[in-house]
Amino acid sequence: MSPYDSATSSGGGSGSSASSSAKPSEIDGLLAGAGYKVRSSDLRHVAQRLERLETAMVNSPVEISHLASDAVHYNPSDIASWVDSLLSELHQTASMPSDLPDLPDLMVAPAINHTVVSDAAWTDQDAPQQLNQFTVVTAMEEDSGIRLVHMLMTCAESVQRGELAFAGSLIEDMQALLTRVNTSCGIGKVADYFIDALRRRIFSPQSVCFGGSGSASPYENEVLYHHFYEACPYLKFAHFTANQAILEAFDGHDCVHVIDFNLMHGLQWPALIQALALRPGGPPLLRLTGIGPPSPDGRDSLREVGLRLAELARSVNVRFAFRGVAALRLEDVKPWMLQVGPKEAVAVNSIMQLHRLLGSESTRNSPVEVVLGWIRNLNPKIMTVIEQEANHNQPGFMDRFTEALYYYSTMFDSLEACTLQPEKALAEIYIQREICNVVCCEGLARVERHEPLGKWRARLGQAGFRPLQLGSNAFKQASMLLTLFSAEGYCVEEKEGCLTLGWHSRPLIAASAWQAVPDANSPLGIVNHHSNHNAL
Amino acid sequence: MAGSNEVNLNESKRVVPLNTWVLISNFKLAYNILRRADGTFNRELAEFLDRKVPANTIPVDGVFSFDHVDRATGLLNRIYQPAPANEAQWGIVDLQKPLSTTEIVPVIIFFHGGSFTHSSANSAIYDTFCRRLAGTCKAAVVSVNYRRSPEHRYPSAYDDGWAALKWVKSRTWLQSGKDSKVHVYLAGDSSGGNIAHHVAARAAEEEVEVLGNILLHPMFGGLRRTESEKRLDGKYFVTIQDRDWYWRAYLPEGEDRDHPACNPFGPRGKSLEGLNFPKSLVVVAGLDLVQDWQLAYVEGLKESRQVVKLLYLEQATIGFYFLPNNTHFYCLMEEISSFVNPNC
Repeated sequence: MSPYDSATSSGGGSGSSASSSAKPSEIDGLLAGAGYKVRSSDLRHVAQRLERLETAMVNSPVEISHLASDAVHYNPSDIASWVDSLLSELHQTASMPSDLPDLPDLMVAPAINHTVVSDAAWTDQDAPQQLNQFTVVTAMEEDSGIRLVHMLMTCAESVQRGELAFAGSLIEDMQALLTRVNTSCGIGKVADYFIDALRRRIFSPQSVCFGGSGSASPYENEVLYHHFYEACPYLKFAHFTANQAILEAFDGHDCVHVIDFNLMHGLQWPALIQALALRPGGPPLLRLTGIGPPSPDGRDSLREVGLRLAELARSVNVRFAFRGVAALRLEDVKPWMLQVGPKEAVAVNSIMQLHRLLGSESTRNSPVEVVLGWIRNLNPKIMTVIEQEANHNQPGFMDRFTEALYYYSTMFDSLEACTLQPEKALAEIYIQREICNVVCCEGLARVERHEPLGKWRARLGQAGFRPLQLGSNAFKQASMLLTLFSAEGYCVEEKEGCLTLGWHSRPLIAASAWQAVPDANSPLGIVNHHSNHNAL
Repeated sequence: MAGSNEVNLNESKRVVPLNTWVLISNFKLAYNILRRADGTFNRELAEFLDRKVPANTIPVDGVFSFDHVDRATGLLNRIYQPAPANEAQWGIVDLQKPLSTTEIVPVIIFFHGGSFTHSSANSAIYDTFCRRLAGTCKAAVVSVNYRRSPEHRYPSAYDDGWAALKWVKSRTWLQSGKDSKVHVYLAGDSSGGNIAHHVAARAAEEEVEVLGNILLHPMFGGLRRTESEKRLDGKYFVTIQDRDWYWRAYLPEGEDRDHPACNPFGPRGKSLEGLNFPKSLVVVAGLDLVQDWQLAYVEGLKESRQVVKLLYLEQATIGFYFLPNNTHFYCLMEEISSFVNPNC
């Protein structure tokens, strides 16, 4: 037995590009040992991209410092994406020499001849030996995937029991196991993120919860949100469904006021503005109040979004007024800040915001009750509520962890269909932050307290709201949206008047619409003081 | 310029396997971005880009590892050991018993490369290499996290290497053999090789026993441009320009490449004749532009009447030992194994 057997068996087969029996999704085991994830079948392509990057850097040396200081570097383990993101940075900032063709397979002319000589140019030692190792790796991979899930559960259980030292050693074992698994997709990818989240919980929770998305720059959050919007249909579904319901609720009203609990880039509103413009009988006067975090650098990003939307409204002849309300948390918003007028038809739009109010321990006048209370006092024509369809607010850590593992596995699976880069990469980071919050944080820092539709029904019912049917129109149009924008596998379902969008029969996001139940004791319209609705 | 660049890219592609080419080119390009023209270094981005791995007390492929912080310096050492035969002992780190009371178990102190600037003991490429070293040579390996330039210049890396040597020598749990002492070898690649030399030189002067030096294409240089530098500039991942940058970042400000740290047998160097300098295994990659300086180093050792074996790997490029997909790798491992286990 050769003393080098241990050396060759670690990580499995090497990157023999000459071997056609390699499965396309197989990652190069030797590069994996070096910390890099590259599919064997991609090696040649990655090499070409590296050459292009080198040539581009040689041709524009001044821009190299930009790559270091201004460019955002994503997952460096994925060499292919890293190189591509740098190339696109260089394309944006420097004028590329026009002789570089766009097709990735071509290179600058003289070099082509060398690569056409192909496999002989690349010295691959010991090729036959590696063929056997491929089949071994496949079986190992599947097995390793299952082992990873078991180890994740065991680790989560240890965390729940407070056995952090043992949990910590499991982290190390899982990380070693990860090197044998394809982490660019499937269980490997999800496990990678969850192992990372557990590791942070065990070793450095402060950096996640108090250095994490809570205090990440609003700009960063917006960018990630935008890419999540582009990479998969969940947010588009949310906007589409809510807009449809709001449009119907505003029928017959001349003064309408939309309150958006999380403005971001205002992606939802151009469609509504245009729909209102085309309304038979003409558009109403539209007021939009957008709530969002304050901008740290002195910019007024809320206002900037408002200006853009105003410009759009003007171009389609919709009378429009915008107001930005800057608040770090939804519970800091007071109804007087919204300046709702007496004759307006109000629509309150909450996309994945209400669950953030569930963090308080106290049951008396909890933030969610306070907020739902003043919403009810506004007597909105409609309140659209879109929430993650998951039970991530259970008190037991193990239950939350297990639920999150299945929920986000499904979500990552659905992301596989997306091929856009860097949208997909950033969408993953967006999802990763949610995962970290669910897994690592506790108390007030844990804001991702998703609850399923059934619980929201009960909660909203108790707070004095009744559900509005979203209607068959909404269902048909949501289904149509899917065929336009997404891959097979997504499915829209209707559940007691609410719509859900999911992946292969697992709903991931739920949209519902609500109206305040008329209270016999208080007049319709604005109530200026906070009444206690708990008796209802 | 573009024309010669293509030629350069194609030459390196012909001599290394595809995945090695991807790996080293990736480093090269990342390092180009990290080095700034004004001599400063983008450390934050470097740490972000560097692939790191944790230690692993549960043996993988017959080797386990754990990290130990040297309280005196605050620096990390990562220790690798062959796994105990008894599975019941896996996962337990014993810091009391010696490695063996009967056999001699070599302890290799390894200084990772990176031209004094890049990488760490827990960088994936070096962790993987040290694991292979420990497994192949049946040795304990101590990988040292020395302070790097440009933040820390000469002589920081040598001081940290010296501290590591003293630390290793004083660990009872690294002792072996009937004479109960720590059987130390010094090893390193690129800048690590340079550090190994200077630590060994100090050890020789202060009469601390080091049994052998293993220098893997060690980083040496000098003011004049040698033939190999001119011939191979830019052809196999490395340029004279980047070598110059790293020396400027490591040497004291205002110094030039004939400083003895860089050129130990040059005009400002001194002979090691008469000192109890350890035997050396110097590995030179035939496609490394620094080879003339490495060969000069071998000559310098010979002139000082020290024992040195040169392993010249003609078709090897730098970093050939990162992936076990070429004959040079296996050749190297066999040589090192024989070097530290002379009686086997």
